[in-house]
Formats: sequence, C-alpha cells, structure tokens
Amino acid sequence: MASVPVQPLIPPPHLDRRWLRRPSLGKSALARNEARWGLIFLSPWLFGVLAFTLFPMIASLVFSVTNISLAQDEPLRFVGLENFQRMLADPQTWESLGVTFRFAAFNLPIAIVVPFVVALVLNNRYLRGVGMFRTLFFLPYVIPFVSGLLAWQGMLNLETGWVNEFLRIIGIQNPPNWLQDTTLIYPSLAFIGLWGIGAGVIINLAGLKGIPSELYDAARIDGAGSWATLRNVTLPMMSPVIFYSLILGIVDVLQYFLVPLVLYNGTGEPGGSTLFFNLVIYKQAFNFQNFSYGATLAWMLFGITLAITLVVFRTSRRWVYYAGER
Amino acid sequence: MTARLSRPGVLFAVFALVASACGGSATPLSASNVPVSTSSAVPSVAPSSGPATVAPGGPVEIRWYCCLGGGEAPEQKTVEDKVVADFNAANPNIHVTLEVVTYDQANGQLTTEIQSGNGPDIVGPVGIGGANAFHGKWLDLGPLITKNNYDLSGFPSNVVDIYKLDEGQVGIPFAIYPSALFYKKGMFEEAGLKEPPHKYGDQYQMPDGSMVDWNYDTARKVAQLLTVDKNNKDATQAGFDPKKIAQWGLELQRDDLRGMGAYFGPGTLASGDGKTVAIPDAWKAAWKYYYNSIWTDHISLTGPQFESKDINPKDYPFFNGNTAMSENFLWSTYGVADAGDDWDLAAIPTYNGAATAAFNADTFRILKDSKHPDEAFTFLSYLLGDASGALLLAYGGFPARTAAQQAGIDALQAQFTNPIDWQVAVDGIEHADKPNFEDFMPAYNESLGLVGSGGKYLTKWGNTAGLDMDKEIQSLQDEMQKIWDKAP
Amino acid sequence: MSGLFEQQDHDAGLAELTSGLAGATAATATQIRRPRLKPREAGKSFLFTFIVVIALAAFLSPLIRSVFVSLKTAEQVGQLDAPPYPAVHATFAYNGKTYDVYDVPIDGTTRSLALVTKGRESSKFVDPSNAAAGLITWQGSWRNLTRAWSFSPEWSNYSTVWNQIDFPRLLFNTVAIALIGMVGTILSCTLVAYGFARFRFPGRSLLFTILIATIFLPYAVTIIPTYTVFLKLGWVGTWLPLLVPTFFANAYDVFLLRQYLLTIPREMDEAAAIDGAGPFRTLISVIVPQAWPAIIAVSIFHIVYAWNDFFAPLIYLSTKPDLQPLALGLAHFNTLHYRNQAFIQAGTLLTMIIPVVIFLVFQRFFTRGIVISGVEK
Repeated sequence: MASVPVQPLIPPPHLDRRWLRRPSLGKSALARNEARWGLIFLSPWLFGVLAFTLFPMIASLVFSVTNISLAQDEPLRFVGLENFQRMLADPQTWESLGVTFRFAAFNLPIAIVVPFVVALVLNNRYLRGVGMFRTLFFLPYVIPFVSGLLAWQGMLNLETGWVNEFLRIIGIQNPPNWLQDTTLIYPSLAFIGLWGIGAGVIINLAGLKGIPSELYDAARIDGAGSWATLRNVTLPMMSPVIFYSLILGIVDVLQYFLVPLVLYNGTGEPGGSTLFFNLVIYKQAFNFQNFSYGATLAWMLFGITLAITLVVFRTSRRWVYYAGER
Repeated sequence: MTARLSRPGVLFAVFALVASACGGSATPLSASNVPVSTSSAVPSVAPSSGPATVAPGGPVEIRWYCCLGGGEAPEQKTVEDKVVADFNAANPNIHVTLEVVTYDQANGQLTTEIQSGNGPDIVGPVGIGGANAFHGKWLDLGPLITKNNYDLSGFPSNVVDIYKLDEGQVGIPFAIYPSALFYKKGMFEEAGLKEPPHKYGDQYQMPDGSMVDWNYDTARKVAQLLTVDKNNKDATQAGFDPKKIAQWGLELQRDDLRGMGAYFGPGTLASGDGKTVAIPDAWKAAWKYYYNSIWTDHISLTGPQFESKDINPKDYPFFNGNTAMSENFLWSTYGVADAGDDWDLAAIPTYNGAATAAFNADTFRILKDSKHPDEAFTFLSYLLGDASGALLLAYGGFPARTAAQQAGIDALQAQFTNPIDWQVAVDGIEHADKPNFEDFMPAYNESLGLVGSGGKYLTKWGNTAGLDMDKEIQSLQDEMQKIWDKAP
Repeated sequence: MSGLFEQQDHDAGLAELTSGLAGATAATATQIRRPRLKPREAGKSFLFTFIVVIALAAFLSPLIRSVFVSLKTAEQVGQLDAPPYPAVHATFAYNGKTYDVYDVPIDGTTRSLALVTKGRESSKFVDPSNAAAGLITWQGSWRNLTRAWSFSPEWSNYSTVWNQIDFPRLLFNTVAIALIGMVGTILSCTLVAYGFARFRFPGRSLLFTILIATIFLPYAVTIIPTYTVFLKLGWVGTWLPLLVPTFFANAYDVFLLRQYLLTIPREMDEAAAIDGAGPFRTLISVIVPQAWPAIIAVSIFHIVYAWNDFFAPLIYLSTKPDLQPLALGLAHFNTLHYRNQAFIQAGTLLTMIIPVVIFLVFQRFFTRGIVISGVEK
C-alpha cells in the first residue's frame, strides 16, 4: 500500500471541490460488476426490509383506509379517505403540527450545534483531563430515559428543585415554574434534551478524529487563524457528520413525544404547548385504541418527513463534502 | 402489604382466612412455606375438575393476565404462582399460565395482545375504570353463571349490580374498597382539637364547644387550624406564610376528578342521555372546594408541592406524615403505615346533608375472544372461591362476600400496631357512590385525558392560581363534549 | 478564546484512559505524556479547563442529586427541614417509643432534648442524658426549634437494592442480548454502509431514500403489525425478535457509517484493488481499520440502546420473566418501591455502572483517532 498518492490527500485550506473530483471509470462491464457487488453488500438490509419492515408499514397504510379499532363498535370495512378527511378537518391536526414545528425551529439548531461545540471543546488542546471529561459528558446518555426525565423534573420543581434553590440563593425571590410556564416550556424541554447529548458528541468526535492532521498543518503553514481554520477545514470536513445530525435531528424532532408523554401524561399541558403531532398519533393508536386514525396521522407525518428530508438531500450536494465520493 | 406476607403470624391468618372464606373446605392455598400435611396437598380444589384424566390433545391452555391494578409485587406473585400451581395440579384438563405485566405498561401490552389475536383468557384483578378501558371486550358471564348454577347470594346485591352493564353481567364481585377519612390523632391533639366523628351522622365539637354537622365546611375550618407554617402560625392566623407550610390540614382524593367529585355526591358524566356531558352539581362543588383548598385556604398541597419528591415522596401526602386528614380508598392501607402509628379512620364529611364514600371494586374478568370460556369460567370460579382468601390478603383487598368481611378486617388489623376503627370503612359500604364514578362514558380513554389520573384539568388547577373555576368547569365540559361528539 | 478551535494532538491514548479512571491524577498523567505548555499557554489551559468544569457541574447536577438521594435513609426523604445531602438526626428511645432530639434553648444555654409531647404553645421534652429526671415542659413553639442533622450516607441502600433486584440473572440476559445484537449490528451495518458508500448501481439513491424512510413512520402504528409478524413466526416469548433484526441492518447505523466511509479518501481502496484485493478484502483490510471510531460509536450506541430498551423486551417477553433484561427488572422494581426514592435512585445508578465502564474502555479509540491516512504515505 505504498503507492497512495500524497498530494490529493492534502487539499488547500480553501477547498476546491471541482479539483478533487476524479474522472469516472465508465466502462459497462466494470459497472455491472460494481453494481453486483453493491447489491451483495446491500442484501442483508434488503432481506430485512422484506422480512420485518415492509409488512408492518403496508399494514398500517391499510389500517388508514379502514375503520379498525380495538373496540370495533361497527363492523370492519373499507372507508376510503374518510380518515384523511377527518384529519384535514380536525383543528387539532393543525394545532399539533404547529406545536411540532415551533418546537423544531427552537430545538433543532440547539440539538445540532451544541454536540458539535462540545466535541470541539473535548478535542481542544487546551483542555486537561480529556478522558475524564469525555466520560462525564457521556454519562447521562447511559441513564434510562424515564429516570433521567424524572431527575430533571425534580431539578426543575418550583419549590424544591435545585435550579430554583440556586436562583433563590442568588436573590431571585420568585423563580419560575419551569415546566408549567408556557413561555419557558420550550427552553426547558430543549435543556432537558441536552442530557442525551452523549451520542451526538461521540458522532462529532469520531468525525473530528477523522480529519487528517495534514489539513491543519497546511492551514497553519498558510497562516490561517482559528476561525479561518474552523471555517475552511473543520466545517467542510465535518459536513457529512453535520448532514447526518441534521437529517436525524429532523426525524427525531418531528417524532418528539416521549418527554411530554411522561411529564404531562400526554395532556399537552401547559396550555396545549406540548401537544405534539406524534403525541396525538401515539394517543390515538395506543391510548384510544383507534388504530385506523392513528395510522392516518402517522402517514401524514411520514409524508411531511419525507418531503423535508428530500429537500435537505437536494441541498446537501451544495454543502456536504465527501472526500471519498465520486 | 408487600413484605408482610413472609411473617409467620400473617401466614397463619392467610390459612384461617382461606378456611373461613370458602365454607370450611381447608385448602393449601397459602404462601409456599406454610407447612401443609401431605395428605391434603392435592385436594380437588376446583368445582368442576371431573375425573383426573387428560383430554385428548393435551390440556386446554388458559392464560391469566395480571396487573391492570396491582398484583405484580414479588410476594403477590408468589401467592399467584401457588394458586395457579394448585389449580393445575387439581385440573389435569386445564393448564393455566400467568402473565404479569407491571401496572404502567399493562394497558398497552393488553391492547397489543388482543389486537394481534394473542389475547389472554382471563384478566385481573382489574377495577371498574381499568376494565372500561377495554369496553366491549368482556364476556357476559350471565349464561355461564346460569349453566354452572353459580351462587351470587353471598354478595351484597348492590355490589353484584356494579357489574351489570350494557355488556351484560361482566363480573362477579371479588374485592371491594370503600372510602374513609384517614386522620392523624397526634395532630388533633397537638392543636387541642377533638377528633373527627367515626360514625356517619354524628356531629363534631368545635374548639368553642359548639356542636356542628360534620360537613365539608366544618372540615375546612378544622383543616385550617391543622395547617401550620414553619413559624407555628396556623392558616387562620395573621402572618401565616403559605409559602412555608410545614403541615397541611386536608387532602382530597386527587387521582381522578370524577373520584374527587364522588366524595361530595354520586354521579357520572354520562348520566343524561349518554351523549351529552352532564357534570353533577356536587362534583362542581367538589372541584371548587379542591381549588380553594389549594389557593385560598392553603389546606392542601399545590400541584408543584404534590409533584415534588422532597415534599410528597410516597404517592400520597398523608403517607409522609405531615397531612392531618386525607380522603382515600381502603386500598391505601398499603402505604399508610409510613404515616406513623397514630392514624385512624373517620367518617367522610357530608355535602348537602348526605355523606358519600367513593367506592372501588376489583375482580377478574373473561375476555370475549377467549377460545375456552368454559375452562376460563372454571378457573374464574376457583379464583373467586377457594383461592380468594389467599389472593385477597396478598392484594390487600377487602372481601366482597359479606360472610368473609370479618376475616378481612382481622387480616387488615394484623398489619398495624395501632388499633384501627375498621367499622368506619364497613359503614362506608352503605354510603358507596351509586352510580359508580368510574362507570362507562363515551370515548372512555380519551375522556380520561381530561378528568382521569394525571388529567389535563387536575394538573392545570393544581398549578395555576387565580383561575375562574366556573369558566374552567365550563371549558372542561365543552372540551369533553367535543370528544363525545366525535365518538361513534 | 482564540484557541477554542485548535485541535488536540493525536497522542496520549492510554494516558487519557488512565486519567479517566483516576480523575484526581488526570493532570499529572497527561502532563507526563505531553510536551509542556508555555506559561502563558498553561494559564489559558487552566482557565479553559476551569470553565468546562463549571459547565459540567451544572450539566451533571441532576446526577449528583440522584447520588445524594440514593444514600439517604427512607426516613430523611420527605423531611422538610432535612439538608440536601444524606444525613440523619439524633433520636432517643423513651418508654419504648422513639422521639426526635431537638436543640432547645433553656436558661441561656442550648440543650439537646427529645420531644415527647408536641403542643402549639408549650411542649414536653426529656433529657436523653438524664431520662430519669422525667419530662421538662418548655414554653414556646417546637416548630421553631432545629434538629441537628449530621452527614451519614446509607450505603446499605445499594446492597439492599442489589439483593432485591435479581441482578445476576438480569445482567446475564442484558449482556447477552446487548452483545449478540451489537455483533449483528456491526456486521450487517458495515456491509450495507460499504455497499452504499463505495459501489455505484442503478437505483442507489432511491434505495438509500427508502432506507432512511423506514424510520419516518412512528412506531406507535407499526408495533401491532410487527408483533403479529413475530407472533406468526412463533418468536413471541423468545429473544429472537430482539436479536434477529439486528443482523439485517438498521437505518440509523447504516447512515452513520456510510457518512463516515464517504469521508475516507478512495486512494487506498484503489491501491488495494490494483494489488488484487477483492471488495471483501478491501473492506476488511482498508476500510474497517480507518472506520474504527465510527464502528466503535455504533457499538456503544447499540449497547446503550439494548441496555435501556424497555418497550421491545416488554411486549415480547412479558410471559417469560426468566428471559427479561435489566431494564424490565428495574422498571418492575421502581413500580414496587415507588415510595422509597433512595432505592429507586440506587437502582438506577447501579444499572448505569456497566455501560459507563464499557465506555471508559472504548473511548480510547476516540483519542487515538485515525491517523493511518496520514502515516502510511
């Protein structure tokens, strides 16, 4: 493996993507061979989809055009688009979509930027005792979800939570009721969400460790400062990881429901601010045992998620840089 | 009741209870370490076991699904396992398996199993409300009761009627839980107050010597004297600091707004034509009383205080020992020992001249989809009959059978060092709410989101001062009406 | 903070691990391995580390609170005058009953007396050092008195919890489920990600979209049909529904690995191909060594996921308590000991230990990073 060319590995700090692109092979026999290998490597997933994923998805799609429910008060029948009409006419659909998007606009940037910044901090040469810090930042990720949530509920309690105890010590006599105040609820939820930061930090750290040090050496030789290095080396090289965080962040935030389910029993309190769209789906499908309507809402969410991710995928060609793509 | 079952004295009580509860046929249905003579180890315990030969194709499989309302504790499971093992040994044609799912998850799991066609045969113990979550899924036991000549005369008829619904006779009584006012004697003594009356209809002597009716107004006045802040000022005194309360006077039952209402008067939300939400006036009064208890009178914990594990770490504030009076069901005896050894039971206060003690009842039910209803009924008869003594004790249940109630009282008393006036609870059966507050209403599970445990309005009222309760109640009614209008 | 984004040197792998294990010696351990910083830089380093420590303390405060609660006696939880740390106050047994000891100011001095009879205006006390003297009546409000709490952690909570939860069996089940699933996930996801990242074929982007789309449908509506599939296969009541699917890849991990593989320059695979290596050999000898950080990340994610997964084991193993993992055991324990906060916190902290140790062991791979691309020139 001595013949790896050195030059292309070290692009200048200001990446020129056209320069990096290699000519395609483009021979049909080779292409067929390549396609065959690609499908061989994909086969475990293809088989798994057929065996375990496809049927439940189709079944739920079928549910949405029937009147299936646990009680089955009326005989099971095909109802066409009745459920979809009900969904479009129900104000709760739009209210809960509004809640989901408002929270997404608030939470998504935090959920992407904070793990990235923490990974940078943990990767910073001025930080002593990195191993310890890395473990400690990871620690809450291991805590079972509900336990962690209850711990935060205790921390944020109006009367006995440590947050308000601290605020009282520094002289704030009437600290807020964090989890019951409609103006503070999204910051509180976003803050609680940061406790699962461990996974995002690991992904970002893995990405940072994958950036060849030659790039930084080159940047240093060019006399680039910290910010220039960040903008011209770190960010482009991290763009595949950021892209991943963005896509999964979108899927996660659109399906957000477990925290309000546990904290508010799914009631949407305070003042309807936590009645997320996926919470409505969960309640319809599981609490109210109304499988057909739940499935209808779920496919609506599927469509919304698909539309958004497709747009993001389109734009990714302009800002995500893959060193090994062709 | 957990952990107490291992005490030999109580085990003996199990034995005695079993003997008394099922008409003298002494069966080995006690916890496993009770010495049982080998000769009686495998008696024919079930009514219709027939000849001891296995049917062709092997025994019929019956699945017992547990814990839509208690029964998952290890000590309870030990008793359940033993009950199942004894039944299986005596009935070679039937094989029962037990499936224990913890309360939090039991509802969703049962939904999944039923809808996938993998439902169990028999479910319980389950309360009226818990069963209504699966309305329409229960088997009408009427034909089986007739076919097997099952004797219902041992139960109070009003308790049998609880299970007579539009779906048919869906249950046979097993455990009942009347309500009472739990109170701490020491706190009354410290404040120089007379204890609340133990007999329904008795009056109460106020500190000034006057005799007054034991109604909610009186209870509020007494509760204010029993509500004390850190500076030793009670809630009637000038300078009382509601932000630094050290001891609260009165706690209503706040698991469910309907239950809270039922302590003021019986009713259901579907009492009208079954399609229009009708909130009983007594319930409206109860909810306003609750709201004022928190925000005006300061005799009850606020929502954040109730939710704080530092202030209320043990389900109910009364268990923590710094609440003077608390309305609750008899099943709350499971944790009341934590409150100390100076508690007792008193009569529920009256509202509009009548006392209502909200009522809970648990039993086992057979699912409509069961493929073997006859065998399931055989097992059901056994659970409600020969096995009932051991199970009632394990669950802390009060026997529905009138004849077994004294044994139930003895078993309850055996768990406490202080003598309790259990007659108060027995008298509460007469004051049970009828119709029951947990009776079916349209879109049951969805409606619970508004009034049920952890429901929307309960949370909101406990967390928000300065609400207009008339408006709130109207808003609850409107919101529920919208849900009912959508229901098929 | 101009140095904020300056990167760490790729060194000190093992030292980092040691420093993680023995936090106190962290500074020394790392300094031995590293070139010394200039005095100005050392100051910067100290300041930077200090800020991170503050942020971390706030971040972990709920955990610190849990540790405190886990060491409290059942009696302390719910006492409104108790300190936040684990502590006990003095009591005194008198005539067969136990009474709390308060600091009572009498005649200009403060005496420690046990409160026997509470009253609003006056109360009766007994002197523990001279009980024979009988009751002392004191005028005043006992509520204004203080109790002396002294620090006293209740370590036995942990052993009680350990004995109450059947840890050995639950741990065995959990470790088995987590490790088998981890192997399945790594194998299948690496293969599939390699297929997506390195081979061109018609319909690739459509298939990739389908892959990602499999996670768009909320599980609330697919759970019943999924359960039905496993029921028909006869797998309900076994580990198979938890294990078999891991061998057929999942969207989250394939996507992550694909992203990572795409950042690895192709020159090395091409060199391997010229040397005659087939796709499998290239994967094992070229791709996998470079993708270690991502593969380790996927392993950690799967272990933590399997460790805390509650829902799937619940629905598939509800009839088989002997096969259930720790998450179910813990949930069961929590419903039973709802009234003892100390037990609940101790149980939660106990279940965390093994995943944290696994992370401590694995995290060195992040320190090491992938330097191969730079070294093997």
